[in-house]
Amino acid sequence: MAHLAHYRQAHPLPFVITHWINLICILVLIFTGFYIHFPYFSGFMGVARGLHLGLGYLLVINCAVRIILSLFIKSAPTAGSREVDRDIKSFLPQKDNRHQFGAWIKYYLFIKKEHPLGAKYGVPQKLAYAAIPFLILLVAFTGLCLYAPTSVVGPFAAFNGLVGGVMVTRIIHYCIMWVFIIFIALHAYLATIEGLAPAKMMFGWKEHGGLVYSPETHTIIGEDDLDGKDH
Amino acid sequence: MARIETQAVEFDALLKTRGVTRRRFLEFCGAVTVSLGLSEALAPKVAEAIEENVIGKAKGKLAPVLWLELASCTGCTESFAQVETPDVATVVLELISLNYAETLSAGAGYSLELAKKQTMEEAAGEYIVIIEGALMEGWEGNALRIANEKAVDIIREVSANAKAIVCAGSCAVDGGWQAAVPNPGGATGIEPFLKREKAAGRFTYEVDPTVDIPPIINVPTCPSNPEHLVAVLVDVLLVGKLPELDSHNKPTLMFGEYIHDNCPRRGHFENGEFVRQFGSEEERKGYCLYALGCKGPQTKNNCPIVRWNRRVSWCVEAGAPCIGCASADPTKAGFNWVDLNTPFFNRVKNLKIGDIILQPATLAAGIGGIAAIALIAHGFGMKATGRTKGGADFESERKWDAKHPDKAIATAPAAQAAKSTQEAEAAEEADEQTEGGDQ
Repeated sequence: MAHLAHYRQAHPLPFVITHWINLICILVLIFTGFYIHFPYFSGFMGVARGLHLGLGYLLVINCAVRIILSLFIKSAPTAGSREVDRDIKSFLPQKDNRHQFGAWIKYYLFIKKEHPLGAKYGVPQKLAYAAIPFLILLVAFTGLCLYAPTSVVGPFAAFNGLVGGVMVTRIIHYCIMWVFIIFIALHAYLATIEGLAPAKMMFGWKEHGGLVYSPETHTIIGEDDLDGKDH
Repeated sequence: MARIETQAVEFDALLKTRGVTRRRFLEFCGAVTVSLGLSEALAPKVAEAIEENVIGKAKGKLAPVLWLELASCTGCTESFAQVETPDVATVVLELISLNYAETLSAGAGYSLELAKKQTMEEAAGEYIVIIEGALMEGWEGNALRIANEKAVDIIREVSANAKAIVCAGSCAVDGGWQAAVPNPGGATGIEPFLKREKAAGRFTYEVDPTVDIPPIINVPTCPSNPEHLVAVLVDVLLVGKLPELDSHNKPTLMFGEYIHDNCPRRGHFENGEFVRQFGSEEERKGYCLYALGCKGPQTKNNCPIVRWNRRVSWCVEAGAPCIGCASADPTKAGFNWVDLNTPFFNRVKNLKIGDIILQPATLAAGIGGIAAIALIAHGFGMKATGRTKGGADFESERKWDAKHPDKAIATAPAAQAAKSTQEAEAAEEADEQTEGGDQ
């Protein structure tokens, strides 16, 4: 047993829901986006555009809700612990992560054999997650630059003028989508390659036993197999 | 009132000599009114203004106009001046005194150059310059010489005393076809050229030294739409002021809406009915040309409303995808609509990285593919190192802690290394109790 325990405190139910909304929005936005980029089959453009716009707004709203909730809802700032603190702290620098960036990179590159200690999110993971809201803002902004009714509004029109026209904005919007695609691939891979326990927690809110970590002493202090349920 | 009636009679006689009925003239006035973005109810006003001006100006007060042709295919002249029968447009042409036009003037050579010189001297600050084609700056300006003079010098001289400059067609706006990569002749638009010259201290607008360059009206498209040109001239000459311009100095009313939004094929777009190949059944049905690379969705122009060839048809209506000729942008250095929109029959433009030209989609799919391969390879590595079943064992303490015991992050001794089986069991029990408490 090398994993830390996965407790519900790490991912409170509201965040499981926002994660589901993010997943659905982003997947449908990518699919409809590809269709709008080039209509690979017939009879779907009106629906594709409707979904793309609607879910685009939903993604931004969901992102805002997720950030606001993180200021109020408490979650466990480290895995393998039921102790909770304000959720936003999981996305800010934590003592548990200090000096561990190199360790994570070395671990991923197989240079380091042992799993680095850290908070709920490892250093590269935390950087990636913290970048997502900015990426969502940027993709939504360029999206509104392309949407005809908003493309003439001040900041959107100014952006189109700055980059050299709607065609260039389209390419920027398209490239950001690919950043999302690569993020999802990386995210899904890293979240499942060492076992499905994290995915079961995130999608089904299912707990999983494992090592116990202390946020006070910043180290592993024991093991918890959840009443002898499956390891 | 009596004066206007006399004028109308006089004007009708003029129309008659040119084989134009009053009815057609009023229709034309209606079209001009719409191009100007005015209510069609104002068409009689426009008609009256034209009548008054044609009659008035016939008495020697015509507005002097110089039509300069630079690096061009003469398509704009053709577009503006082609007359199959005496057309109402020719009547409007009598609003102006076209003192210099290489293609249209009866004179040529020395006498024509003299006419230009005289206009510039005698009507300084009064004449309007219509420019067709790109200016060539290459080879110290020798890439384009007219009447043994460098075109760059002519433009500088002519602009200094112009009342306004109308850039007719996309080449005069941003260099157009001539400015497309690799642009060896240094083609450029008029507005960017004059701005650069002003910045370099080589140009002064003598009519009004408080402004950098003369008022410029950019009327792109390839060729320029005669309806647009007539509307702009009517605006400048009759209304006596410049039309409302956007940040590219294009008349807002003509270049304010996406072609896509007024397209007659728009319904097919929304229904997802696309032409995927020329000569196909879908093309015969008049489906949307989006999949063939139509640039209507990102090009602003009122083509679908004004149309071309005396309002008969226009590109998309005739079955050709829009190539975005109205997207000429005079504000970006080294930017032109041809590079922006090529390949014309593809959904997005090409990206140029050094000498390599590729589509963003190819590039993105390539990077995505590399990422996928890297992840799969990494997955095999994870499998080989036995990390796929719960990951590697955790380090007992951070490397930093081991090196800096005095500044260690962990405040307890490395538990895993120290713990015995008994201790682990004790911890488990303690955890179970805590859990019970939670429930």
